[in-house]
Amino acid sequence: PAPAEAGRAPGPPDGGWGWMVLLGAFLSIGFAYAFPKGLAIFFKEIQGFFGTSYSEVAWVSSIMLATTYGAGPISSILVNRYGSRPVVMFGGLLCGVGMISAAFCTSILQLYICVGFITGFGLALNLQPSVIIIGKYFLKRRPIANGLAMAGSPVMLCTLAPLNQFLFENFGWRGSFLILGAILLNCCVAGALFRPIGAHTALVKTPVTEEGKDALKGKITEDGPTENKPEEEGGKDCFEKINQYLDFSLFKHRGFLIYLIGNVLMFLGFFAPIVFLAPYAKHTGIDEYSAAFLLSILAVVDMVARPTTGIIANSKWVRPRIQYFFSFAIAFNGACHLLCPLASSYSGLVVYSSFFGLAFGMVCAMLFETLMDLVGAARFTSAVGLVTIAECCTILLGPPIGGILIDTFGDYKYMFIKCGAVMVLAGTFLFIMNYYNYRMLAKEEKERKTKEEDPKSVRTEDESKKNWNKDSTQDGPELEPLREKGEGVKKEMNG
Amino acid sequence: SVEKDVPVPSPTKVDLTCKLDENSNLKNPEVTWKKGSEIIPHISKTPNSWTIQLTISDKYHLGSYTCILKGEKEVSAVFHLQVPKIEGKEKPVITYEGDKAVMVCKTDYNAKTWTWHMTNGTELVPIVKILHADKFQIMSPSAGVSRLEILKLTKEDGGVYWCEAEFDLGTSKTRFELRVLSIAGPLKPFIAIVTEVVILVTAIVLYEVYSKRKQKGREKEFDQIEQL
Repeated sequence: PAPAEAGRAPGPPDGGWGWMVLLGAFLSIGFAYAFPKGLAIFFKEIQGFFGTSYSEVAWVSSIMLATTYGAGPISSILVNRYGSRPVVMFGGLLCGVGMISAAFCTSILQLYICVGFITGFGLALNLQPSVIIIGKYFLKRRPIANGLAMAGSPVMLCTLAPLNQFLFENFGWRGSFLILGAILLNCCVAGALFRPIGAHTALVKTPVTEEGKDALKGKITEDGPTENKPEEEGGKDCFEKINQYLDFSLFKHRGFLIYLIGNVLMFLGFFAPIVFLAPYAKHTGIDEYSAAFLLSILAVVDMVARPTTGIIANSKWVRPRIQYFFSFAIAFNGACHLLCPLASSYSGLVVYSSFFGLAFGMVCAMLFETLMDLVGAARFTSAVGLVTIAECCTILLGPPIGGILIDTFGDYKYMFIKCGAVMVLAGTFLFIMNYYNYRMLAKEEKERKTKEEDPKSVRTEDESKKNWNKDSTQDGPELEPLREKGEGVKKEMNG
Repeated sequence: SVEKDVPVPSPTKVDLTCKLDENSNLKNPEVTWKKGSEIIPHISKTPNSWTIQLTISDKYHLGSYTCILKGEKEVSAVFHLQVPKIEGKEKPVITYEGDKAVMVCKTDYNAKTWTWHMTNGTELVPIVKILHADKFQIMSPSAGVSRLEILKLTKEDGGVYWCEAEFDLGTSKTRFELRVLSIAGPLKPFIAIVTEVVILVTAIVLYEVYSKRKQKGREKEFDQIEQL
């Protein structure tokens, strides 16, 4: 009989079917981010039709955005329980149903429900699982994969904007919503591509020894749903059950907390400049089409910046220090806003838009990659849910606060200064705290290595399992590339 | 030459000023204000600006007023004094059978009365809401806005509608084109896209089943080779 193939189950494929998964994620993420923005074209007509004020109609977008981010934890729980594929397909169905029923709405309240809640919830069920499954299919090439997938947002926006205009001119808002409902059903196609991956597909059916079983179990807790752990721990209470699906212990995770605080702060100034760029341009006397063109420049630069950032972030110089790169991108973004009031002419605003597009793309490309880097692929599912619901508040507050600043002072520059200052602050905070985090992680890694090499430590089955668990829970940055080097050194010492 | 629209909603006094840019090549020009062929004397003059004062009390006082500056070359600017324009929708309004159509007519100033007409062939038929209360509803949420709602649409309701606002010094008109579509219009692309989704999902699932079977077949072969 063959000896125990007690090695780890194969890691993420980093290619193969992963590219199809990436295509699906590209679509899904694109719809989730671009669809709410693309709806703005219909608002004037809907406002006239129902006889409401513009802000009442704009609530549709806000409810949609709030639901997409606020339903993050629910999305995470569902993915932890069922995996990405069913959740995304259900999300696609919800989006379709939401928009189709919106086509038959007879009041603005019904629109809030159909477009705001139902479609918003469907998009939430699309966004999170897509980001999660990238972490399951890619490791070595994950930053590139993240950059490419996030590029779906500007690409989809550039496609949806003229498409929506065309639909509106030919079918009015009702017909357009009906057709958009069908288009959103394509999220189900994206979901179909999300073939499940994990220990279930990779287990090797050969006789294994006790140690082999440990190693495999350890790997299972890294890849698949985290259901196997509590088996030996006896009865679970309600809190533990929730914790099984949504990992609240993340709040004790140093890296997660740093990311959470930094990002929540950053989002306060992230979206407002985009919302007010065109109005600001018109305010300085630029005509409507040139002002809209600024946003197009932003979108095109964004589109190119995201995969490029992914490639840079994947390089061997940047990847181990990706948190610094992320902090730099945020601070760079803030610096752009601080310098914007100095741009007085149209060409100045074009330069600003280009740099803003670049900075925006850089931040977005690494938004989820850095979180994955900090908490690891296994806990990412819960992490992303908890992060999005926290960001939900500041995302919704950002543009209205900017609006209040503009109305109070009658000048756009205070809004830019506020956004720039907040982002530079967030970037600096993340930079300093991640420096601290990297050092603490290096220290812990050293302690762990000295403990492993200590021959006197008694290893029971439980203890070795505990070590595995500690590894997968406190394993900070995915030191895979670095760890391989370390193991190589160890082999040389032992061999 | 330079042109400017000056909306005049009600009788008022208006000052029109032509200012010469300091960097201009024209020095000490001879300035005349004209309306058509009639010359108007200016009331005030500074080294580079010339002003006339007009009292607009009836519609004959509206029109185009020009200031002409003559020197080595001649430059002019025109002011169009007119009744305020009203804003409608230039592109066709798309609605569906059985639904309601809403046409909103807006102006920045206060209009005295609003009237709506629909075209029957070549004639303009006024829409009187008292007679057709269950079909047409005309509302004015504010003095500068008028809404026409047409309920229970049919294909015959499509066509051109006119909105007219009456001001003290005249009236202003704008045109709407109403198109009534049947549900079959958007339904065709809808069904096409849904079909595409179903086909793609089925294809992806079938491909997955097929590749899994191939893999199982390969694994069986591998096991058999091992046992040998």
